[in-house]
Amino acid sequence: MTALGALFYLLSAVLLLAAALAATRRNPVHAVCCAVATFLAAAGIFAVLGAPLPGALEVVVYAGAIMVLFLFIIMLLGLKTAPGPVPQARLIVPGVMAAATLVALFALIGADPTVRTPLPAAVASPAAVGTVLFDTYWLAVEAVSVLLFAALAAALLLGRAPRPADPRTPAGLAAGKEGQSA
Amino acid sequence: MTTTIALMLLFPLAGAVFQAAFGSRLGRRASGLAAAAAVAGALAAALAAVSGLGVAPRHVGFGQWFAFDGLSVAFSVLYDRVAGLMAVMVTFVALLIHLYSTVYMRHDKAYARYFCYLNLFVFFMLVIALADDLVFLFMGWEGVGFCSFALIGFWHEKLANVDAGRKAFLMTRVGDLGYVAALALLVAAFGHASASELAARAGTLSPGMATAVALLFVFAAFGKSAQLPLSSWLPDAMAGPTPVSALIHAATMVTAGVYLLMRLEPLLAVAPAAGATASLVGAATALYGAVCALGQRDVKRILAYSTISQVGYMFLAAGCGDVSGAFFHLQAHAFFKSLLFMCAGIMIQACREEHDIFRMGRDLRRRMPGLFVLFACGAAALAALPPTSGYFSKGRTLADALAHPGPAFQIAFVLGVVAAFVTALYVFRMVFVAFFAEPDQPARPDHDPAIARMQRPLWPLAFLALVYGFANTPGFMHIKPFLDAYLAGTATPIPPEVEAAELFVASLDAFLALAGLGLAWALYRPARRPAAAADGWLTAGLGLDALYRRSLAGPYCRLAAFLWRGVDEDVLNGGVSAAAAGVSGLSAALRRLGSGRVSASLTALFGAAAAMLLWLALRLA
Amino acid sequence: MNVPLSHVLAVAALLFAIGGICATARRSIIMILVGVEFMLTAACIAFVGGALAWGNLDGQAAAIIVMGVAAAEAAVGLALLVHGRRGGGTAEADDYNRLGGRP
Repeated sequence: MTALGALFYLLSAVLLLAAALAATRRNPVHAVCCAVATFLAAAGIFAVLGAPLPGALEVVVYAGAIMVLFLFIIMLLGLKTAPGPVPQARLIVPGVMAAATLVALFALIGADPTVRTPLPAAVASPAAVGTVLFDTYWLAVEAVSVLLFAALAAALLLGRAPRPADPRTPAGLAAGKEGQSA
Repeated sequence: MTTTIALMLLFPLAGAVFQAAFGSRLGRRASGLAAAAAVAGALAAALAAVSGLGVAPRHVGFGQWFAFDGLSVAFSVLYDRVAGLMAVMVTFVALLIHLYSTVYMRHDKAYARYFCYLNLFVFFMLVIALADDLVFLFMGWEGVGFCSFALIGFWHEKLANVDAGRKAFLMTRVGDLGYVAALALLVAAFGHASASELAARAGTLSPGMATAVALLFVFAAFGKSAQLPLSSWLPDAMAGPTPVSALIHAATMVTAGVYLLMRLEPLLAVAPAAGATASLVGAATALYGAVCALGQRDVKRILAYSTISQVGYMFLAAGCGDVSGAFFHLQAHAFFKSLLFMCAGIMIQACREEHDIFRMGRDLRRRMPGLFVLFACGAAALAALPPTSGYFSKGRTLADALAHPGPAFQIAFVLGVVAAFVTALYVFRMVFVAFFAEPDQPARPDHDPAIARMQRPLWPLAFLALVYGFANTPGFMHIKPFLDAYLAGTATPIPPEVEAAELFVASLDAFLALAGLGLAWALYRPARRPAAAADGWLTAGLGLDALYRRSLAGPYCRLAAFLWRGVDEDVLNGGVSAAAAGVSGLSAALRRLGSGRVSASLTALFGAAAAMLLWLALRLA
Repeated sequence: MNVPLSHVLAVAALLFAIGGICATARRSIIMILVGVEFMLTAACIAFVGGALAWGNLDGQAAAIIVMGVAAAEAAVGLALLVHGRRGGGTAEADDYNRLGGRP
């Protein structure tokens, strides 16, 4: 067991533990904090697996931006702790399906002999990854950027407070009528 | 001859159709007279036909009814002297009853329906009287059963009347099972079933088969003629109008069973066990009917049990193979019993629908002396006082039993003798209580003059009840027996032992009748102020009806209720409803998948992914 | 390091399962979105492991692209949640069911 291997197993344990905790928390803030821990562990795993750029981006984008956004929305909306634990009946079907998925995946993993070879210890430089991205996969990059732009526009529109006399919303219609009679 | 017979059958049928179509448009009188005219036409045709009849029977055919492999049925008529006399008697009594009905039913609104059924009944009874082919006879047999049902339940607004009609129909139906079974056996043996066929070929049947067929016909006759064990429908059938009781349940339909046995006498000759059964059961029924009549208060029920008893005597004679003796008693009984029933109808109307004899009394006799004379003639004939018709005819049946060899007939004779004594007793009980007593609570009288007019058609019957006996006197009186001579060529002649027994029986009978009269006078004369006993065992017909209700009708009703509630509702309906509910539940469960809930969609996605991975894993493994 | 690829894939599978349960069993929209993020992260781990195993950088590029997509999806999902709450709704996924038929 090399040091990197031990680090990988340690980070995997942290990852899975934090994910399990996040899935079972009733308080949304607690859950999001556990999720942050999960993503930090995932970033560590990326780094151990020789992918420093995805690891850095994971910290910056995922843990830093997305989860902060989650916290921001939770506090904006004032979401409360869930009143009670998840009833047992709701866990049956997801549990069965998760078990089926795991069984299938383990069977697939176990069926292939080529995945048993130990991984080499290598690191990919960010420049090399960047070259691959903008060289071979430039179309995907452009598409993701358009997607991000569309998401930005949608979020702007959806999050906008309704104007007072906008006749397309019921509140606006009522407000407009009030404004006219006043 | 063919036309005359056809006319005889068609007159009442046309009358019935006419009544059904136009009867309600005519007035009551016109409708009644039209019905009576139809029967009068039939009577004229019957007289014309019988006058041209020789000793040899005439076979008249009206064509084939249907035929297929193994069975052929035709509208064939065996017109011999027995049939001729029967047709004359039926139409004569029916004519008098029609005339009586026009006055009796004067207040009823449904007169058209009444006369239609009455004419239809005469038609079917003539079919029974004349038919040769036994399936054709069965058509008449069922037809009179239906008309009886319709007429017993004539006043159908009261449910009890309908129940009585249904009971009569169902009980005679049980007897008809015997008829159909016998028909099946005969058709299997000969290919078709007719009385003349049987007369010719009865000997070719094996003794077992002949006995079986004969016993089945005897059972059918028991049902139609209200003998034990199928007798309890007749007292309840008194729910119908009184002229119906007079026609159907005194003179014609209840004698149809005996008539059948008379027509099938060649068969009974080769099956002596059946004849013995008929005689023994007939005598037992005679005693049963007489004893039960002693416990009745309702005048019509007394006469009903009396009919059961007297028809038993006819069975006694028919079982001995004496066709003319049985026929003699049949005719005499028709005359005096229909006379008694019609007098009972007058009594009932004169006392404002009061049936209880213990509420009629001396007043009735003083108000309507003619009625008393008529009733007394009938009662004397019924009790077999010498020299009425009943005396000679009943004496003849008892002589048949005494003279016939065999222990069954000896027992039957003893039963018949005891019944004769009881008959005289109950008849004179009825006469003394209804016409001589002074009741504590008499019925209110009705002085409608129409009631007295109803007596007019009854005088010919009273005359016949008194003198008809001289048509067939026993040998020791040395007067020519006209009936025996007339039927001599047609039926088996009387054995000489019967003639020897007749003197003994005649004296015994006279003694018994007078003894009964004496005892009745001692018990029921007005000075003793006879009071009715409480309703008991005798009134209920010795519990026969209750026995049937408990042992047959009760379990059947429970089985029907179980099949209705347990099987039809719970199993069949319940199964269909459960299937519908199951489909509905299944669709409700499936509907939740398409509810638009995000969780459902996510779960479905996850499930699909899991399924695909599993499939992939299975393919590679 | 002597970690076989199968272990990396197993870790990814377990994280995927946990994310699946979180997404399907929880009612709150926040938790559903968290579950989806877990599942996407599991996919990223698998991609990176494969890239290391076969010496190919395409896997790392794919992981970056997936992260971009996840960001866009989280933004739009949360914007929808805010919009729904502002219209008087709740934060429960079961209450947004008007696309379903009447029972």
